[in-house]
Amino acid sequence: MKILKVNESNQTKVIDEIVQSLSRGELIIFPTETTYGAGVDATNQAAVNKLLSYKTRREGKPLSIAVPDINLAEQYVEINETARKFYATFLPGPFTIISESKHKTAQGVESEFGTLGVRIPAYQLDLDFLKAFGKPVTATSANAASKPSPYSIEDLFKNLSEKQKSLIDLVIDAGELPRNKPSTIIDTTLSAPVELRQGDLAVEGVARIEDREVDFISESEQETKDIAKRLLLKNWKKIKTTGLIVGLDGELGVGKTVFTKGIAEFLQVKDTITSPTYNYVNEYDFVRHEVAGKFYHFDVWKVGTKEELERLDFYKILKPHHVIVIEWWQKISGFVSDLEVGLLEVRLSENDKGQRELRVRQK
Amino acid sequence: MSGVKTILAFDTSCDDTSVSLVQGETILVNVIASQVELHKQFGGVFPTVAKQAHIENIEPSLLLALKRTGLTLEDVDAVAVTVGPGLAPSLEIGLTFAKNLAKKLKKPFIAINHIEGHLLSPLAKRQTRKIIEVKAAKKTHEKKVKFPVLGLVISGGHSDFVLIKNFGEYVRLGFTIDDAAGECLDKIGRMIGLGYPAGAVIEEFAKLGDAKKYEFPLPMTDSRDYNLSFSGMKTFARNLISKLEQEATGRGENGLNKQTIYDLCASAQYGVFRHIIHKLDKILAKENIKEIWLGGGVAANQTLRKLLRFKANQHGLVFRAPYSKKLCADNAAMIGVVAAKKLERGDVITGPRAIAKIDRQPRWHIGEELR
Repeated sequence: MKILKVNESNQTKVIDEIVQSLSRGELIIFPTETTYGAGVDATNQAAVNKLLSYKTRREGKPLSIAVPDINLAEQYVEINETARKFYATFLPGPFTIISESKHKTAQGVESEFGTLGVRIPAYQLDLDFLKAFGKPVTATSANAASKPSPYSIEDLFKNLSEKQKSLIDLVIDAGELPRNKPSTIIDTTLSAPVELRQGDLAVEGVARIEDREVDFISESEQETKDIAKRLLLKNWKKIKTTGLIVGLDGELGVGKTVFTKGIAEFLQVKDTITSPTYNYVNEYDFVRHEVAGKFYHFDVWKVGTKEELERLDFYKILKPHHVIVIEWWQKISGFVSDLEVGLLEVRLSENDKGQRELRVRQK
Repeated sequence: MSGVKTILAFDTSCDDTSVSLVQGETILVNVIASQVELHKQFGGVFPTVAKQAHIENIEPSLLLALKRTGLTLEDVDAVAVTVGPGLAPSLEIGLTFAKNLAKKLKKPFIAINHIEGHLLSPLAKRQTRKIIEVKAAKKTHEKKVKFPVLGLVISGGHSDFVLIKNFGEYVRLGFTIDDAAGECLDKIGRMIGLGYPAGAVIEEFAKLGDAKKYEFPLPMTDSRDYNLSFSGMKTFARNLISKLEQEATGRGENGLNKQTIYDLCASAQYGVFRHIIHKLDKILAKENIKEIWLGGGVAANQTLRKLLRFKANQHGLVFRAPYSKKLCADNAAMIGVVAAKKLERGDVITGPRAIAKIDRQPRWHIGEELR
């Protein structure tokens, strides 16, 4: 591992070193306007594999890429109208803008939904080396999964294993960075933009997936499924630690089962998801990123009492690694309180434009 | 006793507890607990959610079955039970009861797929005591089965097209990817306010209505598979009903008038059946089929039977459907019929250890091996 301290006078040399290192498929640690980042050539599969083993368990959390400008970005993602506005207003800056990927990066960079996040860092050294390198570089914070964001090299090394350290080839040390949060992530691939993670800067008028209440608009069955998948990814940790109930409400034919199919796709359930109305509940096994669990799909329309719910073994299945989707949730929500399990309530309705509105509440 | 084996069969796949005794394809008794018989005895209403009901009903149902036939447990040659698909806690009750009984009686145990029961339900025969009845029954039922058969299981819980190559050899050709056909009709009935399940009411009202009044969409015409989908029809029905209700309000009427409801029922039922027939046509054009069989709750619907009989005649095929409504519902007699075939083939489980290993299989698709 080579450590280079960067200062006013050695920038040209540092940029040169970075470009050479990235070209060799090496893993570098570099400063940004948020935290220290871990970077490799995002188009080099071996390099990306190296980064993925450095970052440890990702379980579907995508990486994003850093580019010097929108021109390079456009070679890798489809920039739609919404995204273009965000680029113009917020980039360069501490934002990651997610668009449909053109699938030109190495495997493991884009999300499982076929989307890709793009950063243009507001950090001159980064813009310079990215321009000189001419290819996208992965933009992910340098810490391993579940470790704090690193603002100094010292910080970072404290939390790294020897194996992780051995994977690093070059460190660009810019000293202690200002304690800015990781970037704000905005997904522009849905009909209305959604903020998936909030950094220091918030965006007016954009729905935040982390809010207790958030509304989505869906133009199609596919989009309803896409929204379900994003919500589940956001709750993945909860699924593993406590289990998750997804309570669905909405009239017949509004798309509750479609939403459920999206959840099943996210969980990589192999079987076809059919209506549980007749049986009260259908049970499926899932394995997602080597995490095994069970997926239950309830229709409680015929259930009127807590005793009936007990007879369906409902309370026995509220545990980690279980995802429990319940259609007609309001019928039984009163029987489910103070439980040690995550809860996502989704009310679906159709507006007069024929779109589906999804009102999501989470706790 | 003659050489014909007597099978005791159980089904607790969902709401209803059912116990039956069969000899080959002949049904000696078919007790369904949530329906009339036990209701009369206890004079009460049974809980809708099944597990507790099964626990309470299974033994009385067994006793009633024995009493009606004048048989005792000593006369039973094998014990059969549904192990799936179905509601897991419900399946558990029947399975445990049947396993214990087989062990106690030291008789072979036969694990049955519920869908296979519906598939073979058209083969079930009445017990014929009188000579006149024997003559009368010498129709379709007496004809020897010609394979391959296309089996349709159309109910509130299932909509499957199954290729029956022989007894025990099944290929699921197509299935619903969302709601079952019967469920779709039940739910449309629920939207109109006809209670739930509304399938039977819809059938009655449909007779009074114009099936061509509202044209329901024909789903999945582009897809080349034999799968069915009913969720789009539900959405269509919801929008249609709310439009009709608005129009009624505009005319100063209080809700939908009778004729509109009849027409809605007729049109919805026609839409659902048209989708099934459309896919059936596709199958008949491609596959070599000798007979068409219909089973499941919606098999009780006369309109569907007529449509399918017409199709079968058109193609010169034999058409079979269960002889009674009870055989269309979830029932143990059909489980017994399948068990008789399995017993003939020696496809049974013997010995307490092997029996103990059998587990419920809530998502056991027809054509798949028992796990």
